[in-house]
Amino acid sequence: MANHSAAVGRRSPALTWGLRILVVGYLLMLVLWPSWYVVQHTFADGLTGIQTALQDPDVQHALLLTAQVSVLAVLINLVFGVGVSLLLVRYDFPGRRALSALIDLPLSVSPVVVGLALVLVYNGRYGWFGPWLEAHGIQIIFSWPGMVMATCFVALPLIVREVVPVLEELGDDQEQAARSLGASGWQTFSRITVPGIRWAIVYGVVLSLARSLGEFGAVKVVAGNVAGETQTATVLVQQKYQNFEQTTAYSVSFLLAFAAVLCLIVVALLRPKASKESP
Amino acid sequence: MSIEVKNVNKRFGDFVALDDVSVSLPTGQLTALLGPSGGGKSTLLRIIAGLDSADSGSISIEGTEATHLPPQKRNIGFVFQHYAAFKHMSVAKNVAFGLEIRKRPKPEIERKVAELLDLVHLSQFANRLPAQLSGGQRQRMALARALAVEPTVLLLDEPFGALDAKVRKELRDWLRRLHDEVHVTTVFVTHDQEEALEVADEIVVINQGRVEQVGTPDQLYDAPANDFVMSFLGDVTTLGGELIRPHDIEVDVVPGEPGAIEGSVSRVLRIGFEVRLTVLTDEGEVVTVELTRTNARRLGIAEGSRVYLSAVRGATRV
Repeated sequence: MANHSAAVGRRSPALTWGLRILVVGYLLMLVLWPSWYVVQHTFADGLTGIQTALQDPDVQHALLLTAQVSVLAVLINLVFGVGVSLLLVRYDFPGRRALSALIDLPLSVSPVVVGLALVLVYNGRYGWFGPWLEAHGIQIIFSWPGMVMATCFVALPLIVREVVPVLEELGDDQEQAARSLGASGWQTFSRITVPGIRWAIVYGVVLSLARSLGEFGAVKVVAGNVAGETQTATVLVQQKYQNFEQTTAYSVSFLLAFAAVLCLIVVALLRPKASKESP
Repeated sequence: MSIEVKNVNKRFGDFVALDDVSVSLPTGQLTALLGPSGGGKSTLLRIIAGLDSADSGSISIEGTEATHLPPQKRNIGFVFQHYAAFKHMSVAKNVAFGLEIRKRPKPEIERKVAELLDLVHLSQFANRLPAQLSGGQRQRMALARALAVEPTVLLLDEPFGALDAKVRKELRDWLRRLHDEVHVTTVFVTHDQEEALEVADEIVVINQGRVEQVGTPDQLYDAPANDFVMSFLGDVTTLGGELIRPHDIEVDVVPGEPGAIEGSVSRVLRIGFEVRLTVLTDEGEVVTVELTRTNARRLGIAEGSRVYLSAVRGATRV
């Protein structure tokens, strides 16, 4: 790395090494060591820890529920995220900047607040919109729709923030050319726009998925934490840990972390092919 | 008449891009929309294509009222300055795009694409991606793509603007020959008067959102309607208060021609075969004169020489 540049006035080797050790040490203490501890505790007794955890019906249910809620939330986010990105980049309308700022709100607001806000609106007894929905047989809070909504909310900016810069860079020349060649709006979108932004979409989806799997605060407030019913994997980890079932807690933590790492590996494997395809 | 533009107005905020423009562009011809940057020529082309909409006025293409038709229903071919190549498709797929959209049978598409790639000399690059082509090749691909749908009119927006001078000149000649083969009504936008004079059958000069003059290259060059057209189409200087082209001035070292204006040469600049003089007349006018090197030598002109200037016979003056 140091021989990348031959500029005048290079740093002394001692300083370079000092900086490197600082960065590596920082990552080690903050990320690697704690993560390694989780792995270590999960496999302290070989595979028995994980096997026991996976036989617990509450764990099975929580993992399944987390997967279902996450996938649903990511799908909704995908449609909405791509739509909003197109709206923000390709159209000019009053309030565009305000909308753009609003998209980032979930990044800055605490997920617990998000959960509470959803409860206030959709609560079946005293919520603003909840009693009407409940009268029509739709329960949102303490049920999966609420959990999906909470997850959608927190993962909202991830796809938009990936897709918007790519759309901006892509420009609308190709879309105009497609229109002039007779393509309808939908044909232009599916044949020209989507291939142009597909890597941004893949990245956004993976980030959203990772974020959705790991969501804790908002879902906990909205779901009500009923084991075997509305308890997601992250909430389960906290509960098991507090109940001194540490091995189960570590095992589920490991599975969550493993899923997230898997997502990143999949993207890393796909990525080089993309750069070869479109240099 | 192929394309009829009637009373078109277009504003972008406070900026008037087109101010009550009416023009008709003839069928089967190669027409240039010529004017300075920001003069409204690209806007007019985009309105004809349906990529922009006019605030008021109407457009008809080959007798079809097109003012409110979306671009995909106008049966036009459009070529963009920056190619607008579909980056994720091969050259052949790019050219086939319009035909696939029209759901033509596969063998027909293949035949047509091969034919067009041959026409634009890109057959050997059929399976390459646009990123692997040079600028000139990309623009030829874009042309083939636009021609594939057999458009009623072919519209080109500064098609050679992003290319270097040599490729520009090649493509310009090539476009002219292509047009002579294909005969599709073609309109291209350019700010390069040489390009327009060389390639076009007819030129529409547009400036500040208005049509200044419409005519053949010769008409425009020889009988410009006003100062603007005169000065935009070539170099000009003033002689006796009138605009005149520097090569339309006769230089003499002895008083002969009645009414010749007397002055002294303040600067001699030699550019290849051409000699450019700056003459300060006794009336205080600064006149630029162009003459051939042979002529300048014969007259023995140097800085400080006394000269007598007069317009040559048949000179264009405004």
